[in-house]
Amino acid sequence: MTIPAIEITGLSKSFGSDHKKNQALTDLSIVIQPGEVFGFLGPNGAGKSTTIKLLLHFLKPDSGSLRILGHTVGQDEFRHRIGYLSEFPFFYDHLTARETLLLSGRLSGMTRQAIDQRLPMLLEHMSLTEAADRRVGGFSKGMKQRLGMANALVHDPEVLIFDEPMSGLDPVGRHQIKGLIAELKQEGKTIFFSSHILSDIETLCNRIGIIHKGVLLYSGGLRDFLVAGVGLEESFVRIIEEANRASFA
Amino acid sequence: MQALRNIWFLALSTCTEGIRHRTLWAVVCLASLLTMANLGVTTLYSWDLGKVSVEFGLSAVAFTGLLLIFFLGMKILADDLERSRIFMLLSRPVSTWQYLTGKFLGLAMILLLATIILGLSAALSMRYVLWLYAAFVPPNFSWLTCIMALACQWLSLVVVLALSVLCFSFAKQPFVALLLAVCSYLVGQNMELLRRVVVENPQAGALAGQEQLVIALSWIFPNLSLFDKKYEAAYGMAFSGQEFVLLCLYAISYSALLLYLATLLFRHKEIA
Ligand SMILES: Nc1ncnc2c1ncn2[C@@H]1O[C@H](COP(=O)(O)OP(=O)(O)OP(=O)(O)O)[C@@H](O)[C@H]1O
Ligand SMILES: [Mg+2]
Repeated sequence: MTIPAIEITGLSKSFGSDHKKNQALTDLSIVIQPGEVFGFLGPNGAGKSTTIKLLLHFLKPDSGSLRILGHTVGQDEFRHRIGYLSEFPFFYDHLTARETLLLSGRLSGMTRQAIDQRLPMLLEHMSLTEAADRRVGGFSKGMKQRLGMANALVHDPEVLIFDEPMSGLDPVGRHQIKGLIAELKQEGKTIFFSSHILSDIETLCNRIGIIHKGVLLYSGGLRDFLVAGVGLEESFVRIIEEANRASFA
Repeated sequence: MQALRNIWFLALSTCTEGIRHRTLWAVVCLASLLTMANLGVTTLYSWDLGKVSVEFGLSAVAFTGLLLIFFLGMKILADDLERSRIFMLLSRPVSTWQYLTGKFLGLAMILLLATIILGLSAALSMRYVLWLYAAFVPPNFSWLTCIMALACQWLSLVVVLALSVLCFSFAKQPFVALLLAVCSYLVGQNMELLRRVVVENPQAGALAGQEQLVIALSWIFPNLSLFDKKYEAAYGMAFSGQEFVLLCLYAISYSALLLYLATLLFRHKEIA
């Protein structure tokens, strides 16, 4: 049996102290095999970003375990093998795009030559070639998003974790990112990404997870999820409404 | 090896970021003008011109350094957290201590640069005053002592910087961190005075009989007044190399300790 790329078991996380506790995640378990593209869906405040931050050990879990490529998160060093794009990518305003990528590459343990070889291709891919030597402070939201993408891919990681990779992009940019994800899928990378945009998930993912108020409602194949005859959107709304009704009852 | 490299890259990028920041140059230009104002101020005094000029120059460096730490340095540190830039760095194989040390060294480099620029402009104005009023040049005046005093000034800034990194690593809000850092700076600045008052004077009011406490405190807070060598520089008093080395060691070990504590605290912090 192969080692799962990402393995989350019984994960719970709450914010705040006892009397004002906010349960963000409850007993969440997901397994993602290598080479899969996993779409993580859920309404606002469902706990998508929280799960991703837990995966990167920015937050510490209350209970449960997280493993990436067979290594326990927070214990072993495997971060040079994962690429991460945050929900709101921010950079040093006074560094140029090239310098930002150089810093990231070097911090991931790449040599200068390796970075120099890879940069032109990445910048070209993200249509940032012209802006490469401009300071990031002057970038638009979409440009920052694309730089964030390049930043996540600099060290050619095996596992990619994207938090809403298409947010803030125009249709052209979104199309580009979709193409990129499809390409990465071809290369056999494991991709875990969260999104609100159902149509993107529909075209890209093998498997999806649906989370609502910190509870995983569904995890499995995309095909199996789609109720016969209705699209992803319809099925998604249906399952969320059902969960809402159940919680009121 | 990779650890040292990581620290170096972080320091370098922090330094670059700081150097390209407008705040730095605004403060440095203002301070250079201030040291030039030396020329005007000193002529108001009719005695001890040399002393006034030297003290004035070194004070300008100290004051600017503090401005830079509290505004530029703390801003760079706080923005890392507030604007989640830290995610970009800590999602890579960079450990907490490497991150904090890299930031610290980068900011210390900025302070060094500012100290050198201001030191030069202060030296120019001092040179001019001393040349204009040769009669007031302190008898044993030496530029070497001045440079050593300047270096001590930088060391004390480095200690304050380490203190700010520590405050920043446990405070929930950047503003609180700033406030804490300023307070500990003020305490550190007056520690030696307090210690002397209490230890040498049996009638020291509320603190009488609390010598142990005060001595303990003077070990906890940095004894910043030790680094104040304005007086020596101004009067051209002997300032031994040995004392200088001891001060360097004190600054380095104290900062290292603070950074270590900061790492321990930072590990428990959730970044979101
Ligand atoms: N740092 C934090 N402190 C307190 N509560 C938090 C924090 N981060 C998230 N939460 C809470 O956790 C829950 C999940 O938030 P999360 O950001 O994971 O949602 P999300 O699914 O990413 O939503 P969105 O689609 O809007 O990005 C929310 O109720 C939120 O209020
Ligand atoms: Mg989110």
